[in-house]
Amino acid sequence: MATTVNNPISTTARGMSFTPDAALPQMPFVLQVSAMTIRSLRIAFRVPAQIIPGLIISVFFLFVYTGTLGDASNFLPGLSGESYLGFILPLAVLSAALSGSGLAGDGIVRDIENGYFDKLILTPASRSALLLGHMIAGAMLLVMQCCIVVGVAFLMGFRPETGILGVLALIGFALLLGTAFAGFTVGVALITGSSGATQGATFLFFPLSFLTATFVPVNLLSGWIRTAAEYNPITYVLDATRTILNTGWDGEIVLRGLSSVALMGVVLFAFALYGLRVRTKRR
Amino acid sequence: MSNREIVAESLVKSFGDFTAVDQVSFKVEAGEVFGFLGPNGAGKSTTVSMLTTLSLPTSGSATVGGYDVVHQASIVRRIAGVALQEIGLDPLMKSMELLTIQGQLFGMNRREAQNRAKELLAIVKLDEPKVIDRRVGKYSGGMRRRLDLALALVHRPQILFLDEPTTGLDPASRRDVWTEVRRLNREYGMTIFLTTQYLEEADELADRVAIIDKGRIAAQGKPAELKAALGGESINLTFENTGAAEEAQRELEGMVDRAQIDRNTLRLYRPKAAEVVPIVVSRLNARGLVPSALTLSQPTLDDVFLKVTGQRFTQETEPVEKSA
Repeated sequence: MATTVNNPISTTARGMSFTPDAALPQMPFVLQVSAMTIRSLRIAFRVPAQIIPGLIISVFFLFVYTGTLGDASNFLPGLSGESYLGFILPLAVLSAALSGSGLAGDGIVRDIENGYFDKLILTPASRSALLLGHMIAGAMLLVMQCCIVVGVAFLMGFRPETGILGVLALIGFALLLGTAFAGFTVGVALITGSSGATQGATFLFFPLSFLTATFVPVNLLSGWIRTAAEYNPITYVLDATRTILNTGWDGEIVLRGLSSVALMGVVLFAFALYGLRVRTKRR
Repeated sequence: MSNREIVAESLVKSFGDFTAVDQVSFKVEAGEVFGFLGPNGAGKSTTVSMLTTLSLPTSGSATVGGYDVVHQASIVRRIAGVALQEIGLDPLMKSMELLTIQGQLFGMNRREAQNRAKELLAIVKLDEPKVIDRRVGKYSGGMRRRLDLALALVHRPQILFLDEPTTGLDPASRRDVWTEVRRLNREYGMTIFLTTQYLEEADELADRVAIIDKGRIAAQGKPAELKAALGGESINLTFENTGAAEEAQRELEGMVDRAQIDRNTLRLYRPKAAEVVPIVVSRLNARGLVPSALTLSQPTLDDVFLKVTGQRFTQETEPVEKSA
């Protein structure tokens, strides 16, 4: 084995030794992100208890609310003739997306708590790649969960007004909403480094999905809950997806939904980046 | 290319009112094993954290391999390998996964990284098929330390930082780590900066040692030289109480190079101490002083520590009279 001082621990095999020069080639950003994403997916599946609960809650929504309120909806003005399943499905899917978004925050906080994050910081890896790996993996998993919820709805007899395109639009909105909310859980994870705080932050999806047109359309709400619903960005996403699934493509409503989720995304991503700065800043 | 040296100049790290590292300066030569020895809370890990670019000095400067730790941190990270006291491993991952990602992030392609991973697992003896298949969370403490060392070596660093590498390990694992450290240094010429709270570890492994206590360097040099500076062997006389020891000291100190009291034990330092034992005993008898124990010992780094800080390295925090 070569023991020259310039090349410590050279390998015996051909062509594999290289000099640890400061001008070492960098792993391309895209490859960094994909390596971190694959890693994040792999370990997510090693803890199935992470993915299951959120999924169960969403499917639960579907069953229970449809079962309880499904027949009652005929008495609700504005809903008669429409399927209550169609009304509640977007909510179930969006809440799956929101709870699934917690995976990104969980992934990051686990890395921080077990010290692996510090190890990654010492590599030439780009800081944002460390973040994106978990976020993209989280996004892929939440799309998977949403598809499962939609699948269950189909089994219950749901048929969308706008066909498969409508379903894709629903999943698309769910993806956007989940990823935006992931910015929030990731930011909390980075700033607090605590799994307790991060799980608490993720659970905020719960009240958020109730301070909206949860069971009835917005125009049937009144008082403080109506105000809350009007300020809740989820309301507009819910509106957009409900319209798409049950009525048709209403440009204005869809646009309102898109800009609402875009605004959420911008704000929450900025929050996540701020968290990254706080965590990686050397003191 | 780096010059494989580590230079610290008046490094200071303060947290508010508390100064953890106080004007620490030293130079580690290329290819040296340098031991940073001190009790818990002395400032060892804080110093390492500055040298490995994890934290910023409050004042002072340091270079690793010739590169400044504050302004050229990214280069320092490429040429230095780090194994910290807190082992940072993802318990859900497997060893090949951890090592391969590490290699890739340092610029190797996937094939290179995998081969490098296998090579390192063989070196740290974690290459049994059953072990490779196991999640890291199920490893024993010794196994995790070895994997951590392997991770630190992935990118072929020329300088290695080991922060308390054997704390918490059983004696057999500890010897394995020592063997590996010696090998890395002798076969590959790696400069190794090692912090430890174990005197024998510093004695065994280090070419040179710096003793750090309460954030300051109390002594620096080759272990043999530091011990020799104490003045040869010591005769250790244990009495019933400090008063008797002090009386004995007054009686005997003319005979020796140096005398030091450590609680109720009097230590007399001089070369060829064994030769004067009979005289010592008879003089003590003449004064009616009877030691409960008399031993002869070679100086240890503990003695050096006692001399330079006035305290025993281990246990008690009771300060002791400094030597005559």
